[in-house]
Amino acid sequence: MFRIIKKSLRTGVVTGRHPKAEPSKGPVSPEATEKTKPFRRSLTIREVDTGSCNACEMEMNALANPVYDVERFGVHIAASPRHADALVVTGPVTVNMERALKDVYKQTPDPKIVIALGDCAINCGMFKGSYAVTGPVDRHIPVDVRIHGCPPRPIEILKALADIREKQQPSGK
Amino acid sequence: MAKVVAGVEQLKSACGDSIVELSPVQGTPRIRIQKENVPVVAHYLHTHPSLRGALSLLWAVDHRPREARYELCYLFTLAEHKDWLLLCTDLQDDDRLFRSITPHIHAAKWYEREIRDMFGLIPVGHPDMRRLVRHEHWPKGSHPLKKDFRWDTVLQRAQGEYAFRQIEGEGVFEVPVGPIHAGIIEPGHFRFSVAGEPIMQLEVRHFWKHRGVEKLFEQQRLREAVPLSERVSGDTTVGHSLAYCQAVETLMQIDVPRRARYLRSLFLELERLYNHLGDVGAICNDTAYALPHAHCGRLKERIMQLNDRLTGSRFLRGVNLVGGVGIDLTQEQLTEVVTELDSIEPDFTELEKILFANASLTDRLETTGILTERTAWDHAAMGVVGRASAIDRDLRRDHPFAAYDELSPKVALYRYGDVRSRMRVRLDEIHESIRLIRDIKRQIPQGPVLTPPTGVPAPGTWAFSAVEGWRGEILYVVMAGEAGQVHRCKVRDPSFVNWPAIQWAVIGNIVPDFPLINKSFNLSYAGNDL
Repeated sequence: MFRIIKKSLRTGVVTGRHPKAEPSKGPVSPEATEKTKPFRRSLTIREVDTGSCNACEMEMNALANPVYDVERFGVHIAASPRHADALVVTGPVTVNMERALKDVYKQTPDPKIVIALGDCAINCGMFKGSYAVTGPVDRHIPVDVRIHGCPPRPIEILKALADIREKQQPSGK
Repeated sequence: MAKVVAGVEQLKSACGDSIVELSPVQGTPRIRIQKENVPVVAHYLHTHPSLRGALSLLWAVDHRPREARYELCYLFTLAEHKDWLLLCTDLQDDDRLFRSITPHIHAAKWYEREIRDMFGLIPVGHPDMRRLVRHEHWPKGSHPLKKDFRWDTVLQRAQGEYAFRQIEGEGVFEVPVGPIHAGIIEPGHFRFSVAGEPIMQLEVRHFWKHRGVEKLFEQQRLREAVPLSERVSGDTTVGHSLAYCQAVETLMQIDVPRRARYLRSLFLELERLYNHLGDVGAICNDTAYALPHAHCGRLKERIMQLNDRLTGSRFLRGVNLVGGVGIDLTQEQLTEVVTELDSIEPDFTELEKILFANASLTDRLETTGILTERTAWDHAAMGVVGRASAIDRDLRRDHPFAAYDELSPKVALYRYGDVRSRMRVRLDEIHESIRLIRDIKRQIPQGPVLTPPTGVPAPGTWAFSAVEGWRGEILYVVMAGEAGQVHRCKVRDPSFVNWPAIQWAVIGNIVPDFPLINKSFNLSYAGNDL
């Protein structure tokens, strides 16, 4: 017990110990901001992987670690699409995942937004044209926000989430 | 080498009649046999007590348009000699049948189903002829790795349903999970048959994220396909790109400078470190013990930020190139790495003490998800999973690559095969990686870091390479085509081998322990599905 308390005291607060965010690569469209209005105070995300290399998943997971601590901005990760306000989709949509993606979209209650995370979700990246890939996410479901990068850094994801909700920006050290 | 020659002599005297040709590739004996004799010879290799061959890789090549034949290659690791041995056989012209070795060698099960899906070659006598990679909605006759199948074919949707193995009886229920899971993880389907809480059977159904990686390799030039190999499995960026680069370097006879070899080892160990740190935290988190998860997440983040400062990529992308590495580190940067690790190690050791002092954590981890040594051997399980089940194998020691011949890594080995053993392998390897990185900083020589590749290898020549990534053995087979193109690239992530093994590790455990067992394996879906 004392060991744990000692460790916590010695570690201190690490939140925010990350590099500063660079300026966003693309401006957020007014429609996306309009659509996000209901979620300005809190946003619940369901992440769907449709064929990524798992680097984007790792960076999404990193958002929950003490350094980025996404919950302080009112962003939560839900276990089911039925509890979600936003779908974050990673990876090109593979032939085998196409139906699952459409199902998830249908099961997410309105109003909802769709965020395409990473270059593969936006334009299929290196997997463009393959027999096993049906196309980028916006071929199957409407996409509101695009976060570029292969994979985007956690701070870039945080910044994009702050941008669309016109919230206070995450600061770095 | 001398030992494996003795093994070959033994094989020759036992099954001499079936051997057609004997020639070495890259110092590995290659035995060409008639296709009818494959099961007999493979069985002898697998079971004979002085050979004990474990099937490491089974792959097929379509040699068209140069020659009208398919080739099947079986790569064995002789456990008694710690060496490779290769069996090859041909299917001439329109011959599409070959004899399955799965009845004798369990580890061949998924490989043969994969070959059937990708090439349309039929393993006669295989006990499970269901589709593996191609889900049921793929049209009949679509075999992507055949040379007459275009890489950009648009597939039509057919009808069909996958038949899961079923257990029937009073009180037996099926629990379907996936392909989309509750956490932020990759898609895969798990079908449990349960009676009450304990799992009677688990069937893993994967390949949801099949992206056609091997076919995409064939559209690339040999020296330009490194970025694709980095994206086979994102968390193993260095492991996969290193394995690919080594295969191409062998093929093009490039001598990689010593300094580049050391840097490759350094980056591979950094990758091992951040993944193992994340896994230790995630295993604890799956027992609802959030404190170590937070601490491990913090330490992992420190290493990923270090990666970013060193190379401009948190996943170390763009580090490996054919011929060496693309990024040289200055002495100050190497000192920065060691200083960072000097501060991480005591921090982590403190955390370890907290973990070992927690009885309720130990209670959850011990005797959970036991993969016995026998089952691990039958599946040819490897890497962290294998070493937790007494499979004493680590390529860094057994077949040194990069700079490991001068680093002498110590291998973590546990016998019990439960979740705790797999965690302890990771804990040991974290300390060992830190030690290796200190050694690298001390021993690294000065000099160039890149030998620019020149020329193109002759069409039809091939090479294989093996890298001990953080999950286990990553194998690449690269065959050259016309004018420096890739003719065939076989990618084997350790996940492909360890996924079937997890089906056995969960039997008898309760369903709520499955996430914990799955996390302790922590296999890649992307690397498995390709």
